Amino acid sequence: MRHEVEIENLKKNFVLKRWHGLRRSVSEVAAVDGVTLTVPAGEPVALIGPNGAGKSTTIKMLTGILHPTSGHLRVLGLTPWRERRKLAYRIGAVFGQRSQLWYHLPPRDTFELLSRIYSIRRDEFIRTRDVLVERFGLGPFMDVPVRKLSLGERMRAEVAASLLHRPQVLFLDEPTIGLDVVARQELRDLIREWNRKDGVTVFLTSHDAGDIEYVAERVVVINHGRVVVDDRVTNVRRQYLSSKILRIQFQRAAPPVDLPGVTTLARSEYELKLAVDSAVAPIPEVIGQLLQLAPAADVSVEDPPLEEVIARIYQTAKGGPV
Amino acid sequence: MKAIGKYTWIAYTSVRSSLAYWGEIAARTIFMAMILYIFMRLWTAVYEGAGAERLGGLSLKQMLWYLMITEAIVLSSPRVSVEVDEDVRTGRLAVQLLRPLSYALFLMAKTFGERAVRFTMNILSGSIVTLVLVGPIPMSLSGLAMFALIVPAAFALDFLAYLFIGLFAFWLESTAGLWILYSRLTMLLGGMLMPIEIFPDRLQPILRNLPFAMMVYGPARIFVAPNARTLLSIAVSQMWGLAAFSIAVYVIQNIALRRIQSNGG
Repeated sequence: MRHEVEIENLKKNFVLKRWHGLRRSVSEVAAVDGVTLTVPAGEPVALIGPNGAGKSTTIKMLTGILHPTSGHLRVLGLTPWRERRKLAYRIGAVFGQRSQLWYHLPPRDTFELLSRIYSIRRDEFIRTRDVLVERFGLGPFMDVPVRKLSLGERMRAEVAASLLHRPQVLFLDEPTIGLDVVARQELRDLIREWNRKDGVTVFLTSHDAGDIEYVAERVVVINHGRVVVDDRVTNVRRQYLSSKILRIQFQRAAPPVDLPGVTTLARSEYELKLAVDSAVAPIPEVIGQLLQLAPAADVSVEDPPLEEVIARIYQTAKGGPV
Repeated sequence: MKAIGKYTWIAYTSVRSSLAYWGEIAARTIFMAMILYIFMRLWTAVYEGAGAERLGGLSLKQMLWYLMITEAIVLSSPRVSVEVDEDVRTGRLAVQLLRPLSYALFLMAKTFGERAVRFTMNILSGSIVTLVLVGPIPMSLSGLAMFALIVPAAFALDFLAYLFIGLFAFWLESTAGLWILYSRLTMLLGGMLMPIEIFPDRLQPILRNLPFAMMVYGPARIFVAPNARTLLSIAVSQMWGLAAFSIAVYVIQNIALRRIQSNGG
């Protein structure tokens, strides 16, 4: 399998100099401490971790902005920090809070400029631009100055701008930050669609569990500069939370439930929402016991929200109980 | 060739972006007119008080046209160091470095576009005001050509000086103090308020050889009193200045980019 990103024992230390009166102390902080991972072509990967975990530092090394202290690093066969400009033609990036669109000009002008910056052939540029305008729904505001756009519109234009030169790897650093629920979901769908149709490898960092759930297939959790978890999103959810959400609708009034490993989260006249610790009480057994209490009209079992999974992983990484 | 095209397009985009900001253009034009009116009153009083027809080799009319040019130059100067400072502090530098561009050349193209708009507007409004206040001075095509030749080098020098200061943002919390000092020195020692010929004799050779004079005094002097010998001397000084500042910026930028610290997350 072809790997577009290869990282082996990557380290980045920052030197901290502090003055204590007339004395200066120098210390080193390991922001990234031996990260190893590979990403095959076309895979959408989420890189997550608490603040200061080393996610952005890793992304900045992958894009050639930062020099690693040690370790091996290749992106699309290039060494980013040595071949930054060469690599720039083949990668795209969106930093949620830092815009590359010209504030007083419409997105169309920035797109034109980017076509020159990336030396995109005219016919190719027009074709890609038109596809992006159509897919990202930019038509109504392509000629409106960026300062007059909503944040959701601006972010759609930002992501489209980063795809103009058809990058093979797309780095997204908190792309949905500050967006409302609808705009956030729209952007996730667009990124996912582009990943599937165009085969672009997506490298995403986010604090939003929804971004990870909808965009990524694989999740890499970083904490204190180290990879704590590297697995499929579905596996992570399964492995890190044995608890399931069980909703049961009865044909008559919901009975009181007192079973080991089962907690009532919500109750209405006919319906119960229960948290089931499947390690203590297997789901089929719980359902069987509930059906003995009263006949059911409907039963559903859900995975817990990813926020909870992530919170649990962070807790585990800190040494807390799983 | 493609590289030149990129940077030309950046400058063109910057021109368009600057033209979108009519409020700022109007404010600058009004400020320029006010300043020129004040200078006219002030220098009329100075010429009358001195009882002289010429000061520093310039008539009152020439003096006001000289001051119009120096004001147009100084007031059109974009604060490049503030932009670099912000790029470094906010982490926006990452966005700039992610594109296949030279950061310094990107800023230069952007600054030139912005300055072209501001300078043209300043010259247009300043010329109208000066024309109304004191009337025309003799001008020739060759004189204007000399002026057109020397102005871009003056702007490039000013840009490099600001970029040099801005790059200190990698070491300092803020470069505001430095650029304020630099801009005041440009105004005082560059001949913005009066031509270098009016300074004490002992100071004149020093001032002429400082980079400030090559950015402000030189172009203004050529505009009001075009002279091939003066042009040559200023152009040579500008070339030396450009070479020295380019080397300094290149060295400091390389050191600075190696110092980039991770920002955020």
